[in-house]
Amino acid sequence: MKAFRPRGEVAVAELDHDERAVVARIVADVGLLLGGDVFGMERAPWETEQDADILDHLTSFEAALAEPDDPAILRLLPNAAPTDREAAEEFRRYTEQDLRSLKVARLRRIWAALSEDGPEWEVPRDEALGTAAALTDVRLVLASRLGIETDEDAERLREDLARARSDEPDGDEARERVWLGMLYQALTWLEDSLVAFLMGEEADDE
Amino acid sequence: MSADPVTRGSTSVASRLDDAWVTIVWNDPVNSMRYVTHVFQTYFGWTRVKAERKMREVHEKGRSVVSTGGREQMEVDVQAMHGYGLWATMQRSGE
Repeated sequence: MKAFRPRGEVAVAELDHDERAVVARIVADVGLLLGGDVFGMERAPWETEQDADILDHLTSFEAALAEPDDPAILRLLPNAAPTDREAAEEFRRYTEQDLRSLKVARLRRIWAALSEDGPEWEVPRDEALGTAAALTDVRLVLASRLGIETDEDAERLREDLARARSDEPDGDEARERVWLGMLYQALTWLEDSLVAFLMGEEADDE
Repeated sequence: MSADPVTRGSTSVASRLDDAWVTIVWNDPVNSMRYVTHVFQTYFGWTRVKAERKMREVHEKGRSVVSTGGREQMEVDVQAMHGYGLWATMQRSGE
C-alpha cells in the first residue's frame, strides 16, 4: 500500500489486489450497515475465490454489523442532544435519512473507484474531503468493534499491534483483533495522507 | 398573546435567551487532529489558527463550543459535523 500523493489536482494511492479486496469489502459492509443497497454485486468483479481467505477475518465483523442495535451505528449517527430527548428525536427525524444517504453515496464512490482495474486509487481534489469523511466512517465502525472509546484505548491497540509483530497472537479473538487493528491503522494512515494532500502538507510516515 | 408593547418586548427578550443553543464537538480517539482542523476550516470558514485553537481545545479539554445560535441553526451545524464523522451534540446555552 502506498499513501496518497499529489499528482496535480488528483491524489493517488496504490493498493495491491488483496488490499483493494479488503478495503472495497469493508466499505460495502459499512454501506450496508447504513441501510444502503448491496454495492453492485456481492463481490467486486475482480474478486476471486482465493480472496475468500483474506476476507475470512471479516466474517464475524460482518455478523455483528447485522445486529440491529450494533453500537457502531451510534458512532456514525450519534445522539445529537443527550440532555434533551425531544430535541434529539426531532433531530433524528429530520436528519437521519439525509445523513445515511450522504454517507452511503460517499462509500459507494470509493467502492466504484476500487472496483476499477489497476493498482492506483485516484481521488480528485473536489472529492477528497468526502472520501476522507467516508474513511472516517469506516474507521468509526472498526473502532467500535475494537472497543476504542478513549485515547488510552487507541494507545493500547498500538501497543498490542507492536507486540503482535514479534509474538503471534494467541487464539482466534486475539488474531481477529490484530487483523482488524492493522486494517484500522492502514485506513488511518491512508486518510491522513489524503487530508495532508488537501492541506498542502507532507503526510506522516506512519 | 398580549399586545402590550412592554410585555411583548420582555417576552421576546426572554424567548431569545431561551432559544440560545450551542453546538459542542467532543474529543474522540478516531479523528485525527489534522482532519478536525481541516473540517473546522472548511465548514466554519475559520482561519487555520482559529481552527487549530478550537481543535486543541477539543483534544485537551475534551470538548469545545463551536457555534452558538438558534436551535435550527444548531441542528444544521450538528448534522454537518455528523456528516464528517465528528462527535457533536447540541444543547441550550448555559446548560
